Amino acid sequence: MKHDQYKELLHLSFYHDLNDDEQMVLSDHLKNCAECQAEGEGLKKLESALVQGQRFEVNDQLLDQARRELRVALRLEAAKQPLWTEWLERFNILSHPGLRLALGGAAMLVVGFAIGYLVFMPAGMTNSEGAMQGLNQASVQRSETRVSNFRFAPQSPQAGEVEFSFDMVTPVRMKGNVNDNAVQRVMAQALLSDQNPGARLLTVSTLGNQVEASKTPDKEIKAALIQVMKLDANVGVRREALKAIQRFELDEDIKNALLFVLKNETNPGMRIDVINYLEKPVLTHKLVDQDILNGFKQSMQSDNNNYIRIRAKNVYEEVNQQ
Amino acid sequence: MSQKQDSYATDTMIDLELIQRAKQGDMGAFEQLVFRYDKQVLTIAARHVQSSEDAKDIYQEVFLRVYRSLPKFQLRSQFSTWLFRITTNVCLTHRSRRKRHIHTSLSQESDDEHGGALSEAITEPSGADRRAERSDMALHVAHAMESLSSKQKMVFTLKYYDGYKIREIAEMLDLADGTVKRYLFAATRKMRHALKDLH
Repeated sequence: MKHDQYKELLHLSFYHDLNDDEQMVLSDHLKNCAECQAEGEGLKKLESALVQGQRFEVNDQLLDQARRELRVALRLEAAKQPLWTEWLERFNILSHPGLRLALGGAAMLVVGFAIGYLVFMPAGMTNSEGAMQGLNQASVQRSETRVSNFRFAPQSPQAGEVEFSFDMVTPVRMKGNVNDNAVQRVMAQALLSDQNPGARLLTVSTLGNQVEASKTPDKEIKAALIQVMKLDANVGVRREALKAIQRFELDEDIKNALLFVLKNETNPGMRIDVINYLEKPVLTHKLVDQDILNGFKQSMQSDNNNYIRIRAKNVYEEVNQQ
Repeated sequence: MSQKQDSYATDTMIDLELIQRAKQGDMGAFEQLVFRYDKQVLTIAARHVQSSEDAKDIYQEVFLRVYRSLPKFQLRSQFSTWLFRITTNVCLTHRSRRKRHIHTSLSQESDDEHGGALSEAITEPSGADRRAERSDMALHVAHAMESLSSKQKMVFTLKYYDGYKIREIAEMLDLADGTVKRYLFAATRKMRHALKDLH
């Protein structure tokens, strides 16, 4: 074996990437090679510096933030994707460079008109007008539109032209019956995007009370509550969503969401709530469901909370004895 | 079948089921798929860009690409291999919007913008003195990492911090094993040189 090959082994050893035989060959070589011994010492010092430097782990808070932002981005993506993909697949437009250029130009023109309309439209008219038309029983008041976060682009395209970006915010005040579907849908949207946990908590609570009254929830509200129960950064909001969801009839979506909570939720109180909720239909034979039993089995074997392991075990064994 | 192989097969089965459901438009399944790997994705990104904000940007870009491309995913490779290949690609082509890369002098105090960004993203070991010492060394290590090329840095962090095998890194980056080793050894040389006065 050439000397360079021993050096390669030495470097791989630094990264713990040698098998036993290779490690033995290297050890034998090191006994007689001063150059490689010195190289090995240097690598040990590097290791020491890197260990002192730190080995960083992403914390849960950052992961939660990233997940929340991704959730919003995915909702936007899901909302726009079907139309575009279907259209593009049908016409296979992207395979023609000329058409692609023309399409780009047309899109820029449309965007220009849209911006012009937003900036110069008559006072009192906003792009939320269409969205609000469904509010038959709700009264909507809009305040003056505010422009904020105004920023010039680093370089203007040409002399005499300017390029900038800004956010337009129009505060809207709604008043309507909580049974109104449109009101509920706005609240469901707010659940998924509002930054204030107190507001989210109140929204979940209001929607939850409505669920109790009607027992026939809107599909979108149910989906929003499930999302919040699984992913909201605030445990109080997640728990309130769980309470609201328990008032629904148990169906496949809710069952999967509850099993997700049982497996992934960090708050043990919520995991216990899920066991308490799911054990009733299972123990009374109203529902014999293998997924739920598997969920209990998994909790019984791997949950890090003693009480939950015991609770899950009791239910699992009781069902199996029946 | 060994326990490790068993677990690998189970993971693959779970991935396959979630992928099939996600392809049919089940967002819940897609989320579960994301949650199985997203911490690793965020960790790779954070180590590469040294900024929590940029790491979140990369994280989001990676999973949006996965979401868009999932219908075309043919299951010819492991989902995780495909995902980490996307992750490394996005990392390598990422340009910081906030220009937070470490071009600041080491003479600056450790509570500068970079130090702050890192401290948000990482979990530090306990002990105030050790933390201060480590924070200082962390800055030197981070600075040393900036002397690496983008690919050298990616290979080094995947190997040293994440413990991936050479073969796995080669698959992620679509490179030959020998090329990965070349990047790795060059990175080791540069890191030793950059940190030689400190150890």
